[in-house]
Amino acid sequence: MDMTGEYQIAANRADVWQALNDPDVLRACIPGCEELEMTSDTTMTAKVVQKIGPVKAKFAGEVELVNIVVEESYTIQGEGKGGVAGFAKGGADVRLTDGDGHTLLTYEAQATVGGKLARLGSRLINSTAKKLADKFFENFHDHLGGADKDGDKTVSDAPETKDAQSERA
Amino acid sequence: MTQVTMTVNGKAASGDVPGETLLSDFLREHLRLTGTHVGCDTSQCGACVVHVDGKAVKSCTVLAASLDGAEVTTVEGLANGELHPMQVAFNDNHGLQCGFCTPGMIMSGIDMVNRYKTEGRELTEEAIRHELEGNICRCTGYHNIVRSIKDAAASM
Amino acid sequence: MSEGIGAAVKRKEDKRFITGRGKYTDDIRMENQAYGAFVRSPHAHAEIKGIDTSAAEAMDGVIAVLNGKQLKDDAIGDIITGWAITSKDGNPMNVGAWNPMATARVRHVGEPVVIVIAESQAQARLAAEAVEVDYEELPAVAAATRALEDGAPLLHDNVPGNLIFDWEIGDEAAADAGLAGATHVTELDIVNNRLAPNAIEPRSAIAVYNDIDDHYTLYTTSQNPHVARLVLSAFYNIAPEHKLRVIAPDVGGGFGSKIYIYPEEITCLWASMKTGRSVKWTSDRSEAFMTDAHARDHVTKARMGFDADGKIVGLKVNTVANIGAYASLFATATPTYLYGTLLSGQYNIANVYCDVKAVHTNTVPVDAYRGAGRPEATYVMERLMETAAREMGMDPAELRRRNFITEFPHQTPVIMTYDAGDFHALLEKGQAAADIAGFAARKSEAASRGKLRGIGYSCYIEACGIAPSKAVGSLGAGVGLWESAEVRVNPVGTIEILTGSHAHGQGHETTFAQVVSDRFGLPMDNITIVHGDTDKVQMGMGTYGSRSGAVGMNAIVKAMDKVEAKVKKIAAHTLEASDDDIVIEDGEVKVAGTDKKMAWHEVGLAAYTAHNLPDGMEPGLKEGAFYDPTNFTFPSGTYICEVEVDPETGVVEVVQFTAADDFGTVINPMIVEGQVHGGVTQGIGQALLENVVYDEDGQLITGSYMDYCMPRADDVPSYVLEHSTTVAPSNPLGVKGCGEAGAIGSPPAVINAITDAIGNNNLTMPATPHKVWAAIQEVGLPQAAE
Repeated sequence: MDMTGEYQIAANRADVWQALNDPDVLRACIPGCEELEMTSDTTMTAKVVQKIGPVKAKFAGEVELVNIVVEESYTIQGEGKGGVAGFAKGGADVRLTDGDGHTLLTYEAQATVGGKLARLGSRLINSTAKKLADKFFENFHDHLGGADKDGDKTVSDAPETKDAQSERA
Repeated sequence: MTQVTMTVNGKAASGDVPGETLLSDFLREHLRLTGTHVGCDTSQCGACVVHVDGKAVKSCTVLAASLDGAEVTTVEGLANGELHPMQVAFNDNHGLQCGFCTPGMIMSGIDMVNRYKTEGRELTEEAIRHELEGNICRCTGYHNIVRSIKDAAASM
Repeated sequence: MSEGIGAAVKRKEDKRFITGRGKYTDDIRMENQAYGAFVRSPHAHAEIKGIDTSAAEAMDGVIAVLNGKQLKDDAIGDIITGWAITSKDGNPMNVGAWNPMATARVRHVGEPVVIVIAESQAQARLAAEAVEVDYEELPAVAAATRALEDGAPLLHDNVPGNLIFDWEIGDEAAADAGLAGATHVTELDIVNNRLAPNAIEPRSAIAVYNDIDDHYTLYTTSQNPHVARLVLSAFYNIAPEHKLRVIAPDVGGGFGSKIYIYPEEITCLWASMKTGRSVKWTSDRSEAFMTDAHARDHVTKARMGFDADGKIVGLKVNTVANIGAYASLFATATPTYLYGTLLSGQYNIANVYCDVKAVHTNTVPVDAYRGAGRPEATYVMERLMETAAREMGMDPAELRRRNFITEFPHQTPVIMTYDAGDFHALLEKGQAAADIAGFAARKSEAASRGKLRGIGYSCYIEACGIAPSKAVGSLGAGVGLWESAEVRVNPVGTIEILTGSHAHGQGHETTFAQVVSDRFGLPMDNITIVHGDTDKVQMGMGTYGSRSGAVGMNAIVKAMDKVEAKVKKIAAHTLEASDDDIVIEDGEVKVAGTDKKMAWHEVGLAAYTAHNLPDGMEPGLKEGAFYDPTNFTFPSGTYICEVEVDPETGVVEVVQFTAADDFGTVINPMIVEGQVHGGVTQGIGQALLENVVYDEDGQLITGSYMDYCMPRADDVPSYVLEHSTTVAPSNPLGVKGCGEAGAIGSPPAVINAITDAIGNNNLTMPATPHKVWAAIQEVGLPQAAE
């Protein structure tokens, strides 16, 4: 499955870049993220709970940042094992460019799933992945002072990230 | 563990079972009523259909613990000295081959005939085929199942 | 008489099924029973780097956690392929080794890696989730045509290019010459979609090891318990045959998928010995989709040439057959000797050539499923004929008529010798029953409702009762394909028939008893059929390939011949007559033309009291026979399908389906019709609904009934059936077999009808609404509906 998207974020490129590399921000913005720890400058471990169709799974995985061009682009890639539910893996090329009073974030992502997720949930993968990506960037956008400049309030409207948000606070 | 008490085929039945026990498991494994079959894990095949308080239910989709006090009828409970007209019709019309989906077909068939009679609607071939949406048979091609249900409807 | 051959006797076996008293494998519970659950690969292709079972072993109720290496260390053998195919260059086939549980590498999603044995099924499944397998993923390939490309991922070191064999049949030069001289050539690219058999009873096994006697018992969902015992003994080293009993109790449908001895049954037997417990494993539907052998999956290029009169002058077929990750028992025979040999169809064709490349891919093994090779051949032939008729502007029935074989025996250029048939009669009966004359009116009436109505033919021939053993042996079969039977007449005159055939829906308890009733004039109630237990029946080859009638019942006839001879001798001796004057009628043994007679049971009693037997005669009345046919049998038929297509949505409704079959002698028309209903429905399922889909990474994405569309009651019509009979000359009963015909003949009839309705021949199975709608868009609406 491949998908692409772009978002206008009302912050400058340096701030966006910093947020994209901040585990606390990522933890807060990734839907269903329960844990996310840096294990080096470019690697982290994460636990994410997701429900795709009839399959609910907790994914434990490793995430790595590669092809880093500071303040311009990186590739984020990872793989999560969901136990008997199967696995999910994928990556996204993320690129930042200056816009008119905002930063334009574009991404090209690929994701694959396997095991029970594929057998039972494949019909729903595309729509779920798109929804999750949108949710992530909505959270991220809000976090950086998007909609109403009150990131905490907006993010706390999203039930998936509520716990993570309060942990951070 | 949860204490479950219900009436199955006219007799009191109870057991201490894990809360997640499905009715199909309770019937098959605890009461050893193995006429109720399980042919899928997504509630589609209908081999597990039983009657709960007179209505057809997929027993793989309901928790035993949720049926405290319920009246359950399985295929084993249909023949009362003599065969139920639906059972006779399946034999008369060759409505079964391997027999695995048959208990579910018979239980669904009885429920369908009862509902249509109560509602005063005619159970046409088209209606029977539509009503069998939730029961899969791989052997008969449905031709003789439809005939069996139509035949039984006339004598029920 | 009313219970004999030809009577629509109601089934004896029904009573236990309609009252819920059937005994299927999962209904059985042994003393000391534990439960097995498998850890299965989520990857299509990966190296196993490590297995951590410590967490699972510590869980409640867990008895043992066992892996493939331990199984291999105990010398349990690899799973075999039962038919050796030779490539056209003379080389033997290459097949990859198949460990019952993977040891180093997994090659399809669902391949078993570890078995957990626990006190309850829930505990076993929970603990299986706690087993950590460390995989290193490898590139995977799911499509057979892709697996043949340069640079494709390779599955097995000993199978270069993933090519198992490149086999041919017929004369290529002659076919090429025929095509070169043709005035018209029809070409088609054909995909025969991959199917999952889906017997509604999931597979199940209970393995019981007795350490005192070092003896195993296996209860299992098998179509052929004796073959299971044979391979478990001879190849998998479970135990010698006298230390292994296989019981196939009531079995809830097979359709081929329960022929094979799968990794799970082998592993349960071994695990029972390892743990000292009875081990039960029952598949759930999700497991079934990734372990039960899949079916079909051919990609074919076909060219058929015609002369100016519409006579076929040449046929050339090139097929790529997907065998899956491992070559299952009949996987190599199905796309070769069960496929290429039927590519003459019902037609007189001098020049036929077929080439088949069989390929390993990262998918579930593919093997025989209802029809096995013959549906694929029929689909090629009948799509070609219908397409050619349209291209040449001919009536499709007329084109077939011009090419029908009319003289028998007929030797085809692809091995088969057709021994009987009347294809003109079948076509006429089919056309009359389908009211071909009224089609034009029905079409215009449908058009007035905005529907596109179309009609399609399929004239199939198939080969059943694969035989004789000597011939199949010379073609590479690992077994003989005869059948055995034993007729036991008890002292009170009742009869037990022990048969090596196995019933899992076919109604043998009724039809086999009818054959005996017919012969001796005894009531059906006095006859019992015993099958499915290797301790009761000495040997058998089981039920598949529509062989129970053509082979199994004729073995009973042969045994009855011997019983009859002895009965006549006893009666002649007692009644002081000559053997030749004794007749058996209505349960009495009489001296012809006199009033001297004995009741049947009196002869039985005489045989066992042995007070007054002819000198030298052994007491008792029990005879056995092994029957090896002299030829295949050749059922044939004409199927006519009428559909209505909604051009707005692409939804297809099968509004009428007519089947005219020639099955030879019919023992029980009610049961035969039931077989046709079921087979045709499976064929309509293939044509309209069913498809196993793998994604590019080899992930199975149709793994439940939510995504794999099974035919439901409202997807099919009530059927119109006709019969036209030519008796099979190769067996005493004259039967041909009826189990697979429906699934063989129907798919091309359905697709021919849809393509007729929409005026676009570019359509693949399954013809889903989306595909049909797209095909309509491609060419625009046909004239009549605009």
